[in-house]
Parts: sequence; C-alpha cells; structure tokens
Amino acid sequence: MVQAILDAISLGGTYALAALGLGLVFGVMRLVNFAHAELITISAYILVVTNDLPLIVSFIIAAVVTALLAVAMELLIYRRLRGTGPAIMLIASFGLSVLLQRVYELIFGALPKSAAIAPWMSGEVKVAGASVTISSIATVVITVVILLIAGYLIERTSLGLQLRAAAIDFKTARLLGVRSNRLIAAAFAISGVLAAIVGFIVVVENPQVSPMYGVNITILALVGIVIGGISSLRGSALGGFMVGVILSLLNTFLGNARVYAYSWLFLLVLIILLVRPGGIMSKANEMERV
Amino acid sequence: MEKIKNISGITRFSFIELFGPILIITAASCLIGFSSASLMLTVQFALCYFVMVLALQVFVGNSGVLSFGHGAFAMLGAFVSGLLTAPVRIKNNALSMTDLLQSIADIQVNLYLSLLIAAIVGGVVAGITGVFLMRLNGLAAGIATFALLGVAYNFFFNNTKFGPGSQALPGVPKFQNLFIPLLLALVALVLVYLLNVSSIGRTLRATREDNLAAPALGINIIRVRRIAFAFSGALAGLAGAMYSHVAGTVQVQDYYLGFTFLTLSMLVIGGSGSIWGALVGTLLVISVGQVLLMMEQGKAIFGLSIDLPNGARAIFIAATLVVALLWRSSGVTNGKEFAFPNFKKKSN
Repeated sequence: MVQAILDAISLGGTYALAALGLGLVFGVMRLVNFAHAELITISAYILVVTNDLPLIVSFIIAAVVTALLAVAMELLIYRRLRGTGPAIMLIASFGLSVLLQRVYELIFGALPKSAAIAPWMSGEVKVAGASVTISSIATVVITVVILLIAGYLIERTSLGLQLRAAAIDFKTARLLGVRSNRLIAAAFAISGVLAAIVGFIVVVENPQVSPMYGVNITILALVGIVIGGISSLRGSALGGFMVGVILSLLNTFLGNARVYAYSWLFLLVLIILLVRPGGIMSKANEMERV
Repeated sequence: MEKIKNISGITRFSFIELFGPILIITAASCLIGFSSASLMLTVQFALCYFVMVLALQVFVGNSGVLSFGHGAFAMLGAFVSGLLTAPVRIKNNALSMTDLLQSIADIQVNLYLSLLIAAIVGGVVAGITGVFLMRLNGLAAGIATFALLGVAYNFFFNNTKFGPGSQALPGVPKFQNLFIPLLLALVALVLVYLLNVSSIGRTLRATREDNLAAPALGINIIRVRRIAFAFSGALAGLAGAMYSHVAGTVQVQDYYLGFTFLTLSMLVIGGSGSIWGALVGTLLVISVGQVLLMMEQGKAIFGLSIDLPNGARAIFIAATLVVALLWRSSGVTNGKEFAFPNFKKKSN
C-alpha cells in the first residue's frame, strides 16, 4: 500500500517534470515539441554509455548535451518555422523526432543498451512497516526538489516572469521588451535540462534504452499538459502529475484488467476535455481560436 | 494596397481540377504498377495511403483542426473488413484466434460488401464520436482525437474476442488486380472533390480562416465539422479496409502512430488545402521511400546504382519531411488545386 502510493507520486512527479518541459516550450512559441522524447532518450543513452564515470559527472555531461541538443533544435529548425502555425510546427517536430530516433539507431544500434545505473537505488528500506524501494523515494525527493526550484525560477526571477508573460501573450510580451529569441532559446535550454532529469529518473527504473525510449512518457506528458491547461505552466505540471498518478493507480487496482489501463486513462482524458476544453486550470469559457 | 491573403481550396467545380489528378493517378498507377511485381505491391499500398490522405484532407485540410484519431477509424475498418472476409476455416482453426467470438468466426461475406460495411462502420463511429469531439478546438481537439486512437489501439491490441489481439489475422483475401484499389481511390477522389466544392466544404474552409466571422455569417461551425468528420471517418475506414486487402493481413500496429504520422506528413508536405496537395504529398513520400529502398537493396535506378548503407533510408525520409517543411511550410502545392503549368508571366 505504501509502495503503491509512493509509486503513484513518483510516476506523477516524473510526468510533471516532462510536462513542465513541454509546457515551457509550448508557452513561448505554441509548439508541441514531440522531439522532447528524443531529449529524454539522449540523456538516458549518455547515462548508460558513461556509466563508468562517477554518477554526478555523467549526469552533468547528460544535462549539458541534452540542453545543447534542445537549443540546436530551436536554432536550426523551429526558429525558421516560427509563425507558420501550430499544426505545421507539430508535424515538423514529429519529423525531427523520427529523424533523431533513426540517428540514435545508427549510433547506438536498434537493440536496447543497458547498464546498472546507481545500483544502490534498487535496494529496499522499511518505511512505516512496509518495505519500499529506494528509487521510488529518491524519485519523489528529486521531483519535489526540482519542482520547487522550477517554481522559484518561474515565480520569483525575471526570466520566469518573462516566460509566464510570454505564455499568456507572446506578442504583448515582446512589445514590453521581452527579447523573443533569447527567451525562446532559454526556454529550450531549461526544457532540455528537465528532459535530462526525467531521463535520469526513468533510466534508473528501466535501464533498457532503445531509440524510442522517451516516446511513451512524452505522449502521456503531452496529454497531461492539455488536461491541466496548456496556457499555464502550473496547469501543465499539475496535469502531468495527474496523468502519472491515475496511470499508476489504474495499474495497481485494475488487477488482471490492467492491460486496459490506457483505455481507461484516455477515456478519462476525453471526459475531462469535454467538460473543460481549456483544461482543469482554465476559466470555464476560455476557448482557443482554432 | 495590401494584397488579399491567398486562401487555399476550391470554390467552384472545375473540370481540369478534377480530371487532371484522375489522369495522373491512373497513368502513374498503370505505368509503374505493371513494370514489376514488387512495384505493383507498392502502387497498391500507395493507393490505400492516398485514400487515407484524402480522408485527412477533407477534415484536417478544410477545417484546420488536427486529428490524430483517423488511425482509429482505419483500424476499425481494417478489422471489420478483415474479419468479415477471412475464410471461416482459418478463423476457426488459427492459433491466434482461439478466443474469437463464434458469431464472428462463422461469418463470411463478399469482398466488395465488406469494403462497404467497413466504410459505413468508420462513418458511423466517426459520426457518433464527432458529436462530442467537435465541440473542441485547437490542441484540445488534437489530443482528444489522439485519445481516441489510444483507446482503439489499446482495445484491439489486448482483446482476443474481437480480433487476433497483438498477433496478425491471417488469410485476408487480397485484391485480384490493380484496378479494384485504383477504382476505389478514384471514387474517393471524386467524392472528396464534390464535397469540397459543396456548401459544406466552403463553409468549413470559412471556419478555418476565421472562426469568429464564420458564425457571424450564420455558419454553424460544430455542425459542418461533424458532417465532415463523419464523412472523413468513412473514408478512413475504407482506406484501412483497402490496406488490409493489399497486405493480406490485419495487424493492429500497422494503424497506430507510424501510420497516423506518415499519412499526416503526406498531407502537410503536399499542402493540406487541396486534393492536388494530397496527391502530390502521397506521390512524393512514396517515391522517395521507394527510390531509397531500391538504393538500399543495391538495385540500379535509370541505370545508375548508388549504394546506401542499411538504415540510411529511414533517416532520409524523416529528413525530407523536415526539409520540405522548412523549404515550403504550406506544402509543395501551396494548397492550390491542379492546373496546367502557366508559362506566361503572372499579372499580379
């Protein structure tokens, strides 16, 4: 029972971080970045490949490379597509996602690569009379800390203020002196670091890294930002958290019918969207203009 | 004076816009299809993709609302048509189908009838889900339709009562010749063209261009979107059914993410505003893929043999998509319908 609750919270936290990364980029440029999945994947690959180095060193390498890749995406591709409309950017990001998957396949091979990352994390400890894995506690701690840092960054710093302003109304934010290119690049860099952290969390649980490693979590996080409310960063994180918690609880309590967990999750998503089209955190009558 | 924005899509019936694409499809299918047996199969698959891209064009292209859910209707169409036409003997004895409902196992209908049923089922399900889904807009609509695809995939992947689950359904009869899928694609093309020039097509494009002005002119946005969604769902069902009769099998993975995004990419690369764009996009993506495949296999193309390492093909296809969008974000055709090349200097 304790393990089930911890699992739910840690999965929720992981999805919240992924959703926050997606939501940051969506906020500044209305881009649904499918290639976020490949940022998570590259982080996991690097952690596996550099497993001989001390954990902190290999994580820093992963974070730097992932952030650089995120910024490179923006500079080489998304910057040129700005203003073409969300549908086209979404398809382009999907193309980029497939492209990177194939490049990974060429570099790392199609078969999963694995290594025991932070093996001490798979041990168990006793909490309130029940034994739980260290990794689930660590995940909860990491996500809470990162969400607090991200919350501080977004609520209390000038960069965060600019990001929030841009998420609400990008044009007006520019008129008020927000430097769009720099801000968008910063959003991509932060989203890259968040992806690296998500990559670390998932690779500890499941060290079998293959080219499509990050796709599943990205799609679910994307579902999360939509049901949470795409126009607010807090809503994105909350939506991601909810998706993780719901999925984890469904997996625990459906028993043999757990193969249908995704069906129930998606049906729930459909119902939430029909009741609140703009997401849970939105005002009732707010509608996106196509 | 500021130039008025060039709005993509057709307004009036034009003989050339309809018969140009018909001629090109027929000529290309026959010329390429009859040149070799392996190309014949490629052409048949291409025709299925084309019907699917047309289905997407009707809804996504005209309304501007993204849909990832059409894969679900294609999946449904494939399962309906595949299960209806597979021989009773195979359905009762195949190892992958021991759980299949007896009433499904004992039924067998004619190929043409099953195609019709698949289209009707696709249309009915799209019509029913559209009643709810079409209230949504923008990204919420995209994710909601994706949820539909997710439910369909999850259901068919795990359920062994209404299909083979994650395994392949064997023994689905194949099309006897090229002309059946070709004819079906042409019928779909004509239907889509007629819908696009009808008042439904035109009002739908009006809602795409301005969803505040359109209702002010008396257009019921939700109503026209529902109609278009149901119609395109029927076409997607047909496309899925056709695909199963070209492949000779039904497998749930064939209609999931890869299929959805491949067909959406074809539409966007060609230009989502027109059926000419749908055709050009399908042709372009299929031919790039085919040429690269032949290079990978070391075959000579026009007497020229370029060796490509394995795996390079997939990279090239994805790169083509990205580059095509960077080069021309509104698609190769810019959303225009077919016209004879005009070599005279343009007056505007």
